[in-house]
Amino acid sequence: MGSLFPKKPRQKSKSEPLSSKIPLTDELLKKSLANMEDLEIIALNTNIGTVFLYYIKTLIDNERLNEVIVEPLNHCSKDQIAKCLMNAKIEKLSNLEEAEKKIVQGSILLYDPTQNHWFATLLETPLSRSIEPPETETVIYGAKDSFVEQIDQNITMIRQRLPVTALKTETFNIGSLSRTKVVMMYIEDITNPEFITIAREKIKAIDFDQFLDSSQVAAFMEDHKNTPFPQFLETERPDACSNSLALGKIVFLVDKTAYGLVGPINFFHLFQSPEDYFLRWIIASFLRCIRFSSFFLALTLVPLYVAITTHNYEILPLQILYVLLETRSKLPFTPFWEATLMLITLEIIKEASLRMPTKSGQILGVIGGIVIGQATVQAGFVSNVFIVLVGISAIASFLVPNYLMTKIITLLQFFLLVLSSLLGIPGIVLGMIIIIAHLVGLTSLKQPYFAPITPLYLKDWNDLFIRGPLTSIKERPSFLSPLQRWRIKKRR
Amino acid sequence: MIIVIIGIGFVSQLNLFILSKCWKSRFLKDGAEGISKLFGKRMIRLYAFIGLFFIFMKMAIFTIGYSDIMHQYIFPSINNNWLILFIFLTSLYLASKGMEKTFQFVVIVMLSTFWIIFVFIPFLFAPMSSIHDLYPLIPNDPSLFSWKGVLLIWSSLSGPEYLIFLKPWLTHDKRQFMYFTIGNMISVLEYLLLFIAAILFFGSNYLSKTLYPTIDMIKYLQSPVFERMEIIVISVYLFYIVFALALFLLFFYGLSRLALAKWNLQTTRKGYLFCAAVILSSFLIFYNFLWKFSYKGFWGLDLEIALSSLSYLIIPIILWIAIKRKEDV
Repeated sequence: MGSLFPKKPRQKSKSEPLSSKIPLTDELLKKSLANMEDLEIIALNTNIGTVFLYYIKTLIDNERLNEVIVEPLNHCSKDQIAKCLMNAKIEKLSNLEEAEKKIVQGSILLYDPTQNHWFATLLETPLSRSIEPPETETVIYGAKDSFVEQIDQNITMIRQRLPVTALKTETFNIGSLSRTKVVMMYIEDITNPEFITIAREKIKAIDFDQFLDSSQVAAFMEDHKNTPFPQFLETERPDACSNSLALGKIVFLVDKTAYGLVGPINFFHLFQSPEDYFLRWIIASFLRCIRFSSFFLALTLVPLYVAITTHNYEILPLQILYVLLETRSKLPFTPFWEATLMLITLEIIKEASLRMPTKSGQILGVIGGIVIGQATVQAGFVSNVFIVLVGISAIASFLVPNYLMTKIITLLQFFLLVLSSLLGIPGIVLGMIIIIAHLVGLTSLKQPYFAPITPLYLKDWNDLFIRGPLTSIKERPSFLSPLQRWRIKKRR
Repeated sequence: MIIVIIGIGFVSQLNLFILSKCWKSRFLKDGAEGISKLFGKRMIRLYAFIGLFFIFMKMAIFTIGYSDIMHQYIFPSINNNWLILFIFLTSLYLASKGMEKTFQFVVIVMLSTFWIIFVFIPFLFAPMSSIHDLYPLIPNDPSLFSWKGVLLIWSSLSGPEYLIFLKPWLTHDKRQFMYFTIGNMISVLEYLLLFIAAILFFGSNYLSKTLYPTIDMIKYLQSPVFERMEIIVISVYLFYIVFALALFLLFFYGLSRLALAKWNLQTTRKGYLFCAAVILSSFLIFYNFLWKFSYKGFWGLDLEIALSSLSYLIIPIILWIAIKRKEDV
């Protein structure tokens, strides 16, 4: 009943390797950790005999090593390591694989040869930066903290906002080389269990060697790989994540990444700014409508110029047509090439401004604005009217709060540009139909991406184009099928 | 004609009542399999062959008709084959998303096109309009009555009979008759508004002389930014055309699988594309060898009106009788 062409399930390989559980010995461990210059092996003479410590010194907090391990062992009068190190959280080890995993994660391995016991305790160096205001999702009002690269700290920031036991976390390790820790968070009483199952399966199915960023994790979890549209919301704001959790969504935090992933999302979430919920509803609604209009304007303004000047010039009143004809009369290029060259130039300027140092940015503004803008008009390469339209279109594209969406606009602009040059205004409409058809076909964690428009959930429209008064948004979004529909305790 | 539109609306309502009765049948719930239980596999194959012809004619006429309007009003210089191709490819893409997603697209179509009806409201208050143009409401002169007009309106109201085959994809709601009634009422009111606006704007004498009165009316609308509003309105109608074509493409594909007795096999990309290639080439042949040369006296339009009227009339009745017979057994 879903797709017209369902994919055939792939047959699993019959010869899957069995997990090897090799017993841990001193010799095997040394062999496994050979050629590691930062590996330390210390023989510590204690009252209970000689104890060997294995650790990678670049990963270990040396001060804590003395405090938690060396000192207690030196003053130990008991016969077992576990009893001496009561304050350290130690785990007993039995196999080589486990030992390897622990040591590279920043644990110290303790070997008691007299009793042939192995233990591990985590003493990882806490590398973290201070919590700073968000850079990509800045707000005037509202919280000023953003995620950092330490996953535990990120979890704390969310937990502090949602101090309930129903907020559950599940940890996964992905990446055969990076062994990246991914934490899935959800509120048990609210989030639809179906989403949790889907998400869990998706994480477990990830098979890759290294993950450097949350967007890479998202790429492996997305339902549709060949689309420019993001299927997870990447946010650096803990308040946005806790709000999503409260609505019944799932948040994924990836270690060493200052961005959280939120899913399932819909297309319209990408237009919502955290500030929408801090401003008064009329103002927030107005700004949201402006954002949607800007997106539409950024997509269609340049293609519309090409369509009108190439095919449908009769659509304009004579006065406007005169202006257009006059500005275009001496241009050597057709409208399509004029637009293509200008849009590519604009993209070059945009990309350069991102890569350049801040101080050079001003120079870029001068070059972009005066030299490329004014001089190209004077040289007769581009019309005045077109420069105005490109300017409006470029500014309008920045109104979309999601950075990924800003990038998509450029791509879609080119797509519509080609269609408009071929078929004029109907070409733009056909292009829009294709884009919408594509969006209708997308899903995020198997949930419809274009909801609540289609499938239609009229109740969710209270927080769609218009952000209704907070006091009236009493229900959670229906498209998320939350376990608890109401956000309030008492209903009339 | 006003009273005729209202009258046909009532008859259509009766037809929809029968359809809503059929809707409740358990046979329709399982789609093709359920219908095959209702009629038997041999009969289903026969009906499928006939249905293919009905659907092809419907698709061909509204697609080529629309591209012809586009050619006439927006692109007189372009080769119409290109327009047909682009519209078809867009529909093909939409249909490839599957029946469920294609059907979900209806909301977008509704949002994109519903406002067009309001464009016609100013024509009701045009300075030259005279209320006398609407008289006589009940014609006593038989020469004023046109069977062709009746058939045209009846065929324009057709379409809900295809909904019955979409039941597996739609919510099995008990209030189906209410939804049918709302849809029928909106359609009748829309035709009434368009007819009244056209007759008030053109006058009864001149109205019959225009081929596309509603589009010609929009030509007279002006705004400070756009002078030829009909270019925008016609273009926006693409949402409706693409959606309808995509839906009928899927119907055609489904029916051809029934006709070839392949309903138990999984749908394939190859089969779908082959089906699309057959339809597209038929469209192009249809347009280049039949439509282009004899548009005004073309029999295809009359045939399509007759087929749509027939399908709207007989599908509910046949279904109802078959269901009654099976349930009695």
